[in-house]
This record gives sequence, C-alpha cells and structure tokens, in this order.
Amino acid sequence: MKFWNIFRFEFGYLVQRLSTWLYLAILLAFTFLMKLVITPGDGVYANNTFHITAITVIGSLIWLVMSASIAGEAAARDVQTQMHPLTYTAPVTKLNYLGGRFLAAFAVNALLLLALPVGVLLSFYLPGLDQGELLPFRPWAYLSVYLFIALPSAFVATALQFSLAALSRQVMTSYLAGLLLALVAQIIAVAAAKLFGNWDLVKLLDPIGVTGIIGNELQTWTPTEKNTRLVTLEGLFLLNRVWWLSVAAGFLSLTYFRFSFAAPVTNGRRRLFKRQPKVQAMATAETAILRVPAITVPQVQRNFGFKTNYYQTLTIAGASFRKIAKSPAGLTLIAAIALLSAVFGNKIMTEFGIPLLPTTQQVIAYLATPVGNLNTPLVIIPLLIIYFTGELVWQERAEGLSEIADATPITEWVLFTGKFLGLSLIILAWMALLMAGGIGMQLGLGYHKLEIGLYLQTLFGLQLLNYLLFALLALVVHVVVNQKYIGYLAMLLVISFMAFPATFGVEHNLLIFDSDPGWWYTDMRGFGATLGPWLWFKLYWLAWALLLAVVAKLLWPRGRAQGLKYHLLLAQRRFTRPTTWVAIIGVGLLLTLGSFIFYNTNVLNEYLTGADLNEQKAEYERRYSQYQNTPQPHLTATKLHVEIYPAQQQVEIQAAYTLVNKNALPIDSIHLSSVSGIAINKIKFNRPAAGVLIDQELSHYIYALKQPLQPGDSLLVNFVVHYQPQGFQNNGPNALVMENGTSFTNYDLLPTIGYQRYREINDAVLRKKYQLATRPAIPALYDAEARKKPGSTDQTTLEAIVGTAKNEVAVAPGRLHQTWTAGGRRYFHYKTDASIGSEYTFLSAQYAVQESNWHNVAIRIYYHPDHAININRMLRSAKASLAYYTEQFGPYPYKYFTLVERAGVGGGGATADAGIIYYGEQNTLMKPDDGPNGFDLPYYILAHEVAHQWWGLARLTPANVEGAGVLIEGLAVYSGMQVLEKNYGNKHLQQYVDYLHSFYAMPRSLATASLLQANEPFLYYRKGGLALYALRKYISQEKVNGALRRLLQKRTSGALPLPTTLNLYQELQNITPDSLNYLLHDLFKENTYWRLKTKQFTAAQTKAGNWQVTLKVQAQKVVVAATGSENEVPMQDWLEVGIFEEGKEATEPLYLQMHRIRSGEQTIKVTVPRKPERGGIDPNHLMIDLRLDDNIMYLDGR
Amino acid sequence: MILKITNISKLYSNGVQALRNVTLTIPNGMYGLLGPNGAGKSTLMRILATLQEPDTGSIYLDEIDVLNQKAAVRQTLGYLPQEFGVYPKAKAEDLLDYFAVLKGITNRAARKEVVAALLKQTNLWDKRRQQLGSFSGGMKQRFGVAVALLGNPKLMIVDEPTAGLDPAERVRFLNLLSELGENSVVILSTHIVEDVRELCTRMAIINKGQILQEAEPLKAVAGLQGKIWRRIVQKSELPALEQSYKIISTKLLSGRTIVHVYSETDPGNNFEGVYPDLEDVYFTTMAGYIGNYKPEVAQ
Repeated sequence: MKFWNIFRFEFGYLVQRLSTWLYLAILLAFTFLMKLVITPGDGVYANNTFHITAITVIGSLIWLVMSASIAGEAAARDVQTQMHPLTYTAPVTKLNYLGGRFLAAFAVNALLLLALPVGVLLSFYLPGLDQGELLPFRPWAYLSVYLFIALPSAFVATALQFSLAALSRQVMTSYLAGLLLALVAQIIAVAAAKLFGNWDLVKLLDPIGVTGIIGNELQTWTPTEKNTRLVTLEGLFLLNRVWWLSVAAGFLSLTYFRFSFAAPVTNGRRRLFKRQPKVQAMATAETAILRVPAITVPQVQRNFGFKTNYYQTLTIAGASFRKIAKSPAGLTLIAAIALLSAVFGNKIMTEFGIPLLPTTQQVIAYLATPVGNLNTPLVIIPLLIIYFTGELVWQERAEGLSEIADATPITEWVLFTGKFLGLSLIILAWMALLMAGGIGMQLGLGYHKLEIGLYLQTLFGLQLLNYLLFALLALVVHVVVNQKYIGYLAMLLVISFMAFPATFGVEHNLLIFDSDPGWWYTDMRGFGATLGPWLWFKLYWLAWALLLAVVAKLLWPRGRAQGLKYHLLLAQRRFTRPTTWVAIIGVGLLLTLGSFIFYNTNVLNEYLTGADLNEQKAEYERRYSQYQNTPQPHLTATKLHVEIYPAQQQVEIQAAYTLVNKNALPIDSIHLSSVSGIAINKIKFNRPAAGVLIDQELSHYIYALKQPLQPGDSLLVNFVVHYQPQGFQNNGPNALVMENGTSFTNYDLLPTIGYQRYREINDAVLRKKYQLATRPAIPALYDAEARKKPGSTDQTTLEAIVGTAKNEVAVAPGRLHQTWTAGGRRYFHYKTDASIGSEYTFLSAQYAVQESNWHNVAIRIYYHPDHAININRMLRSAKASLAYYTEQFGPYPYKYFTLVERAGVGGGGATADAGIIYYGEQNTLMKPDDGPNGFDLPYYILAHEVAHQWWGLARLTPANVEGAGVLIEGLAVYSGMQVLEKNYGNKHLQQYVDYLHSFYAMPRSLATASLLQANEPFLYYRKGGLALYALRKYISQEKVNGALRRLLQKRTSGALPLPTTLNLYQELQNITPDSLNYLLHDLFKENTYWRLKTKQFTAAQTKAGNWQVTLKVQAQKVVVAATGSENEVPMQDWLEVGIFEEGKEATEPLYLQMHRIRSGEQTIKVTVPRKPERGGIDPNHLMIDLRLDDNIMYLDGR
Repeated sequence: MILKITNISKLYSNGVQALRNVTLTIPNGMYGLLGPNGAGKSTLMRILATLQEPDTGSIYLDEIDVLNQKAAVRQTLGYLPQEFGVYPKAKAEDLLDYFAVLKGITNRAARKEVVAALLKQTNLWDKRRQQLGSFSGGMKQRFGVAVALLGNPKLMIVDEPTAGLDPAERVRFLNLLSELGENSVVILSTHIVEDVRELCTRMAIINKGQILQEAEPLKAVAGLQGKIWRRIVQKSELPALEQSYKIISTKLLSGRTIVHVYSETDPGNNFEGVYPDLEDVYFTTMAGYIGNYKPEVAQ
C-alpha cells in the first residue's frame, strides 16, 4: 500500500513537471525532423524497419539526458531539497521508498521513450509531411523495437542513473551515469572490438545500441530486409539484453543494500561504495558561556577600480578552476585518455594494422580533432565543457549561496570573465594532459624526435581556441536558457548541429558556430595555406564571442529576477556605456570580418552547396548527355609546358593535344569538357574551327570543324590553362600547388575530350530526386553496348617541360631527358616512350632522389628527406615485382620507372599511373616486421601497384562494366601476393590472406554481387584476391599465371572487344579440370559461403607406433541471393584436411591432403607417423568462411 | 545616511501581493521590521539588497538610487539572507577570504586581518580550517554574519538573523549590530518582538504587504498606556468574551488562559489594567486597533 502511494505520488510529481512535457515534445519533434531529413535508400520504403529502429535508438541517446534528470530527481530530490529529514524519518521501509521511487522514474522514462516509435509512426501519417510510397502498417515493427530495444534500455539507464544518484545523493551524478552509458560504454565496446578484432563484442557490450545495433547489425541488412525484417530477440542481441538487464539489476540491489536513511555527510569522496556511517554529521556542541565582549571589526580599505576587477576575476577564475579540478570527472577522464593513449600507443599508431613511426604529425592528427567530430574518444572534451559550464553557472544557486554572492559589489563582467577564465584554465590543463599523453605515446614507442613547437601550435593554439569558443557558447547558452537541464539539452542540440550541419541544411561555415574551413599539417606541406583562412574564420567567431559575452553580461542571472520582463529591465539597466562600446565593436568586427570572408568564399570563389553541385551535375547530364555517343577523336599525344609557382600557388600550362579520329565515320565537331572554374584559354585548332557553344558554367565546349576530320586523320589543338586560387574558399584550400607539396593530376586542371559520364550523378536515389533516367551505378556486365566502352578511351603519350621553384624538383611520368636552370627556376623535361593511358600527375617538392636500375629500366625514387626509412624496401619490392611480372605476364613497356612521394594528409597507401607510382606521406612511416614471423605489408603494397603496370592503366583496359574492378584490382592483389610469397615466404602470405579475410569479419551484408558482376571495392580487392588465391592453391600457380598471361597477351590496350570478367572466367575455365569446375563456379558466378567446422579431433597410437587420427567435421555451403535469402546447396567439395605437430608451424604440416567433403557431419580417419597436436578442415583458409577460428581443433579440445 | 522607501509595491505572478505601497524613511541606527511569517518582510529586504525588482516605487540611500544604481548600493551593502547555503567542501577561512575579495578588499594583508578578526568575533576562529559542510546551524549563521560584516557596510540588511543563534550568540550579534548602527543604516527583520524591543530605535510593523505602524518602540508602548487590560479566564469562557471585547492576545498559563484586550476605557468585568509592552503594541496593531491597517478592498 505504502509502495503504491509512494509510486503514485512520485509518478504524479514527475508528470506534473513542465520539463517532462518539454522532453516529450523534443522527442516527438526529433522523430519528425529525422523523417524530413532522411531519404531512404534505393528500393527502401520510408517506413522500413531500419528507419524505425535507427530513429528510436538514436533518439534514446538524446533521451539519456532527460532520463538522467528524471531518475536523478526521483533518487536524490529529497536530499537536494533538504526534505530528507522528513522523508527519511517516516515509517517507510527502504524497499518501499526506493522501489516506489525507482518504478515511478522507470514508468515515466518508459512512457517518454514510447514517444519515439509513436513519433516515428505519426511522422509517416501526419498530413503535411511528404509521404511517398509506404509499406502497409505493421504494428509489430514498432512494438518489437520498443519492447526489445527501447524498454530494456529504459530499464538499464534508469537503474544506473537512479542507483548512482541515490548512492551519491546528488542529482547530477545521474548525468555522469548517462554519459557513461552513452559514450564510455560505446567507446569501450568499439575499442574492445578493435583490439581483439571481434566485432561481435560490440553487439554484446553496447548498452543503448547505437554502435551495436545501428552501426553494426542493421548495416548488414539488404534493402529487402530493411523493408520486411523485424527486430528479433535472439543470438548476441538476446545475450546483450540479458547482460545489461543483469547489470542493471546488480546496480539496483547494490543500491538497496548500500542506501541508508541517514543524513548525507560531506567528508570523504569515496563514500559511494563505503558503508554509510549512521551518525549525524559532527556538530560540535559548544558550551554557551555568556561572555559578551564588544565586537569590533577593523576598518578596511575597499577599492572598486579596474585593479580590483582584475584581481577579483583572477580569484573567481582560480576558485572555478579548483572546483572543476577537484570534481571527480574534472581531470581524470582526460588524464585517463592520455594515459591509455600512451599505454596503447602501439595499437593506435598503426595503418592497416602495421606499426607507424609516431611522428608528431601523426600524434597530432589523433589528438587534435574538430569539436564537432563525434567519432573520437576526444568527443568527451566538448561534453565535459557542456557539463562543467552548467556546474559553474549554477554553482552559487545550487549551494544556496547565490543571494549572498549576488549582493556583493562584484560586476557581471567580472563574474562572467572569471568563470570563463576558470573554464579556460581547465581546458588548458586538458591540453597539457593530452600533450603529455602524446609525448608518452612517442617515447613509449621509442621515438625521440619530439616537436614540442608543433604540439604547442596545434593543441595550445588551434585546438584551444576552438574549445574556448565552444566553452563560451556553452556558458552563454546556460545563462540565456537559465534552466540547468534545459541548458544541457540545448547544448547537446548545438553540438549535434555542429557535427551534422548539412543534415540541417546548413553548409556555409559562416553559419555554423566555431566552424572553419579546416586545417591540416603534414611533414612535407606543413600547414600549407590552411592557417590564413582558419584564422579569418576564428576572428569572425571571436567577434561573435564578444557579442555573446555582452549577452551573457546583460542576462547574467542575479538576484531573484523572475520573468522575461524583469530580465529585459535588468538587461536594459546593464547596458552601460562600456558595454555599448563592446557591443558596437563586436558588431563592427562581425560585419567587417563576415563581409571579408563572404567576399572570399562567395565572390572571389564560386560557392556551391551540395544541392547546387548535384543540380549542376544533373543539368550537365540533361543538357549534354545527348552527345555521349557522338563519335569523338582520341587523344594520342599530349605536349605540355607546365610552369609551377609553388610560393604563389600558381600554375600555368600551355598544352598541345594531338587528336586522332579512330572511328569509322568523319567527325565534324569536337567536344571539350573542362574542369569547373578553370577556363580553357587561347584555344587554337590547326585547321579552321569555330566555337559553337562555350558553356563556362557547366564546363562544356563545342567546336565545329569546317572540314570534318576523316577517319585516321588527326588534328592538333593548342590551349592555355591558368590556375591561381583567389582568396580562400568555404571548404578549405584546393591543395594543388603549394610549397614543398605540389601535386595535381590532369583531371584537376586540364580538359578532356567528349561527354564525361563520370560527371553524372551516380547515386540511384539522387538520380530519382533530380528526375534523371534510372541507370545502374556501373553498367551491367551483360550490356553489350556498354562493353564497347572502357573507363577512359584515351591512350596518350606525354611530353612535358615542367618548371618549378629553384629549390624544388618537379616530377612527371616519363623518362627525365634533361634538367636546366633558367631565370632562377629549374626545368625538367620528361617524355614517355609509350602511351600511358589517360591519367598522369605533376608533382613538385624539395625531393631527395635515389637512382637505381633494373636491367635497362631506370628507377628513380623521389622522397621527402625525412621519410627515408623505407626507400630500400621500396626499391627491393619494385625490382622483385618488375622481375616476377615480366617473367610471368610479359615485358614491362617503359624504359623508366618512377616512384614519388605525394604530399598530403592520410596517404597510407599508394596509387599507380603508367610507369610511375605515387605513395602517400603516411606510407613512408610504416614500420613493418619483415622477419620470418612478420608481415611486410608496405612491400606488398608496392608490389600491388607495380602489378597495375600490367593490370589496368596502359595494358589490360577492361570495359567499364560490372567486374571491371576485378580485372584491375583483383588481379593486382593476386599478383602482389605472389611477389610477397616469393620473397618473404608462405608465412607473410598467410598473414595477408588472413588480412583479406578480416574484412569479412567487419559488419557487412552477406548479400553481395557475384565476383563476375562485382560492383564494390570489397569484392574487387578482398574477394577477388581470395578467390584467385584459392584457385591457385587448387590448380597450381603456373596454370593460373598462364591463364592470366593469355588474357593479357590476347589483346592490345583499348582495342575492341574490351576484356571483361567473362574473358577472365573463360581463361580460368580452360585451365580448370572438370572435377574443380564447381569451385570456379562457386567462387566467380555465385555468392557462395562455406561453413566449415571441426567438431572433434582425437588421436590414438597404433601398435605399429603410428597415430590414428579421427576428425569429425561439419560442412555446409550456402548461396546468398541479392535479397539476403540464404539457400543451402548440396556440397561434394574438395577441401584440405590438415594435421599438425606440436611446435610446428602451419607451413610444415604432418598431413595435408584434399578430401571430398559432403554437406553435413562426417568422420575422417587418417594415419600419421608422429603424434599430432591439432588438425582440421581447410586449415589454410582457402574458402570464403565467416568463422575461421573453428576450422582447427586441438587434441585437448581447444 | 537615510534610506527613503517610497510607494514600493510588488505583485508576484501567482497573485500574491507581497508589498503594497510601502513607504518608509529609515535613518542611521537599528531599524526593526516586525511582522508575521509571509508578511512581505523578506521581499522588502531582498528589494533593499538589490536582489529583486519592485513593480513600482523608488528607493534612495542618500543620493543613491537603489533600484537603478545597484552597483553603487552593493559597494556599501551587507546582507544576511534568511536562508542560505555554503559550499560544503570549502573551509570557513577560505570562503570568507573569497567573499572579502568579492567585496573589494584586495589588499592581501588587510584582508587577512579582517578575515581573522571576523572569525574571532563570530567565535569561528577555532573552526576556521573545518569544512563548512560540517558546521551546525548556528555556526553557519555566524559565518553568514561574518560575510555580511565584511567591508564595514553602511547599509546592513539582516533577515531574521537570530533564528538559529543560541542566547549568548544572539546577544553578541545584536550588540554588534547596534554598534554598527551608530553610523549606518541597519535593518533587521524579525518576528521576535524582543529583538526589536531591546535594540531598535525605530520599527515598523508589517503585515500582508502593508506597513501597519511605524514608530519608535518606546513611544509606541507609551501610546498604549492605559488601553490594555487583562483577565484570567477558563478556556470555555473565551468565545463569549470574543463577542464583546477587542481581544488582542490569549496566552495559556498553568491551564488557564490570560486574555489581553484593547480598550480605551476600563472594560470592567474583572479586567485589570496592565502596563503594556511591545508585544501588546504588536498584537494591537496586527488586530487593527491602532496603526493604519486598511482591510483589503474587494476586487
């Protein structure tokens, strides 16, 4: 009865609060907003399960803040409001008191969460919202999401928040619990998954479901599944629910046992888990002696000038700093991040799993992330800022000291500045901790070239300013909102706006608080041209900050002013002359800087939103796709004079294109497609021609020839292209030309011939939106017309004279014929000795050069002098690759081979053009273990790129249809693997095979296309590599290589018919024995998965001294259709069975033979000469099997 | 110094008329503001302490416009609110020092001296390194007094200060206030008549937002001379008496009831005249027999 009463009162109290209804409104509004901004993918209806689930889960992240306030209130309101002497002494049991309170909070929270699925439901049917086509209403789709995801989450979150608040007797602690659930748990889950390479851990550990369900499980659903599948309580998800519900129950019982009806004591920090002493706080009773001496207070001097204000500001700053620093989350969280970074440096400083040299640049890239980046552990910083600004603004009021403090002669400026300064000091301390963590990480990894200056510049310059601006905004929002919890909520909305402004339709940095065009730092380029624009934007935001400060001063809560009227009255009174001046200066600066920035971003440069860009693309297609089949001449020779001015970020190119009509019909007009914003100047044909259409906006030019160009005839066109950045742009500088880091391709600046399909919108949903004809992203393999078109039609030779600054070296494809100096500039003359395809790059930097030879090929490596640790490795790989591919696939076509480091951010890999390979700055920092047990990935990467000299580029140029990527990347992966194996042995190769398999472990849909019709990089690289590797193991290396050689030698580049995966399949079929035809079919034509498992492994010694081994294996083969439906197919497959000795590697098997394995469970008996330790089915992971860890079993049952 | 309060009114948004046309002139010295709970005392005190805005009216402290020159007022203000909290983790000495800075005592040595003196005066010197969270109600109250006294205020506003003090502390505190009152304005709000009787040179009685009477306590008492009569009755006789006499107070004494009535002439009927005290003034005023009590106008 009492329980019921307590519940009813508490429930009523919570429901009566205005904020509860406000929360409800926010959650509903969230669902409506999301409905408006989210467009479902192709073939997915608006009211699909995925949408319902995702919105509910993401909404529950917002709800965590509300639930903190509700659970915290229910648990700790009595102490907070000093009601506890009354309630604690009432004759109520702990169970009734806590139980009633908790259940009331849970009920309110559960009802609030109900708003999410209900809101989603309403958003589909409310009039006024654009609906589109809908699936029929399925109540269970909403109910299952609510019952299985939201409701358990409500229980878990309420339990944790309630428990922490009840035990600490502070409402605020429940916010920490919310933070814990929202963030820390997710971060731990993802970190655990990454560390242990097991993504199932995330599904198990994630309490709310953002990464576990949305980021993981649902990502693997196909469109059909998104439409029809329902959330079910099974597998890991069920375990997850059970686990978290038990955690919640554990917390609740802990609360029940630890909680006591005693007045809170204030001493001691660790009282949360310590038994509560049941005595009143000691209040020393004094003997009241009636001595009544006269009280005299010394007269003191008081000052109220500027000096006093200054002194007071510092005092308040110090007090604020100490308050935050002493609070449990003040410094510890950031210190923990710093410490963990230092300890797990070897896990963080990696690229593709290979250790990286922890240069300061790398560490900075990890530590200095934008405020709005939610995808890093450092998102904790803005969240802490939000939390502590609230604490500071509400400090006096929370402790009941505000009336005394407000009546002191301290100005609002001083209060505001002091608190802001205190917060700044904390942020400064955080930066120092991060810097210590970064340095610790470097030292821990044995790297001693610390660049303290760079740390100071980035953490204490760029980042600090970002965080300070954000802190100021948080402070002002708290002041303006003047409702603690609503203030928190408002700031969370602000930060989600900052994180996803485009979702809210805002893209210009002038409109996104604290935003800027971004900065970067690389060893070669330094900050490049990023700091200038960054600073202009920050100055602009500082002007805003000034105005915000004025607002804070005017509205700073003081006394008991209630209602808007009095706030305005106070504000009016506080609008003193100095304040007016500050405001005027702020507005002046704001307008001046804003106009200056706008002039740069929108007048000097063209400003296009994402929608504008799409519209431009759509318009290009609408207007000019009529010419896509108009015969055009081919570019066969390119002669360029390139003048690079790195310091001025300028380049001027004088170009001469030789165009040949390779069609059967005469050509009467030439179509040129230029790069947006780069005009083609001084265009001149060597025969009479007239411009018919010059469309600078859509960058399409048409010139009519007086005399048509006859088949086989050629013409020469000359033109000049000039590039010079004007001012700065909204989204950062174009990193084309800069000191010690120039790198641009012909596609960045030079025009191409004909209509360009790649400029069309590719995304199916967007195409629909812009009313463009439906077409597949990649033309179908069986589209006969499309099979006549390669990715690019051009096969050109290149001759270039490149001039650059005196202290730099310019690099281009081709043989370096001559270098000279003229007019204080250096010139380089490059010329290719065969056609190089259609793409090439120019680079210029202060390169060091290493020269070498392979047979009569001149090898030159251009590198940043500080990035020299891998030069020899690259040289070894290049030579070994050239040798192996020449032997296996045919001769290398050029007399030169160039390797060049490309300046820029995040370049872990490398790319190839004909005769030249570009590798990124980060690639040079990889420190692989090249010992026998290691894995030399960089060596492989280069071998892969060298392989493109045979596959893709100027040699095997496939038709631009499905599967083309397999011919280019799949074959390069396969080839690179051979070079890796030949020079490093089987172990490095097996590491690479496992590396390929590891991509299957990441959450993805099983319903992919077949390899023949492959349409995504995952299939090109990973599955392509694995399938060819398996074939090679089954059929033999010589035969597979021979098939590839024949595929290549049968055609010349660009000649029809162009190769497709069908030709590859044909060649492979020719070498495949009939008994293995099924395998080729399964790997290439179907989307097949094997499920192989060793269930039992026993061995007994025979009388002869041999060992009789018995294996019980389970096998299954399924084909997954595009809809996601799985079809088991009968199998009768050859699979390796391997048995291994103790202490021997997998490369030295005791027994390794092919066995015919059928579907289902079966027993295999094998006799081996020595005692085995382990064994199983498919030990070398040749099949596509999602669980590799159960293939092998140990004698002891492991 | 003279504090002039003119026509101050305050209507809360929930409809409570906290103050109604309050006009007072308060000279140097101790001034008592006497009234029952909810009379509007604290609202008036907070308005004087620059923490609240009246709807109408004006307040001047000499030349300072209290409502519009808050900064100037705060520089001479000492305020002890009726209820306040402290930072439980802070130490008494540190927090007092912090407030000393807020009050503009920037000279470190001077501040140290003042803080030490105030801690000693308020008998907190031995507890100066203790966390405030462990203070008893009285100690906390004394700490508040110390904060209010920082910087020798010329306008001292103390809202029910004696509530948590033991008798000795109360005496010491009131003595201190009256000393302070020698050259500053000290306004003391209370519902305890004795506080006013002992120390205040002037007083006002307030109820339901109106000043019922403004007077010097001694004169007010003298004004009642011969108008207060007393009789000891059985409890059951009370209703009958209420019909025919202006009863201002009833008190229990050993099971019987002492009734005080107001009458300008001898009421007879076994009533005996008594020497009035301030309590009688208070009750007579509250009952509306003297002073300017106006019943609320029906709206």
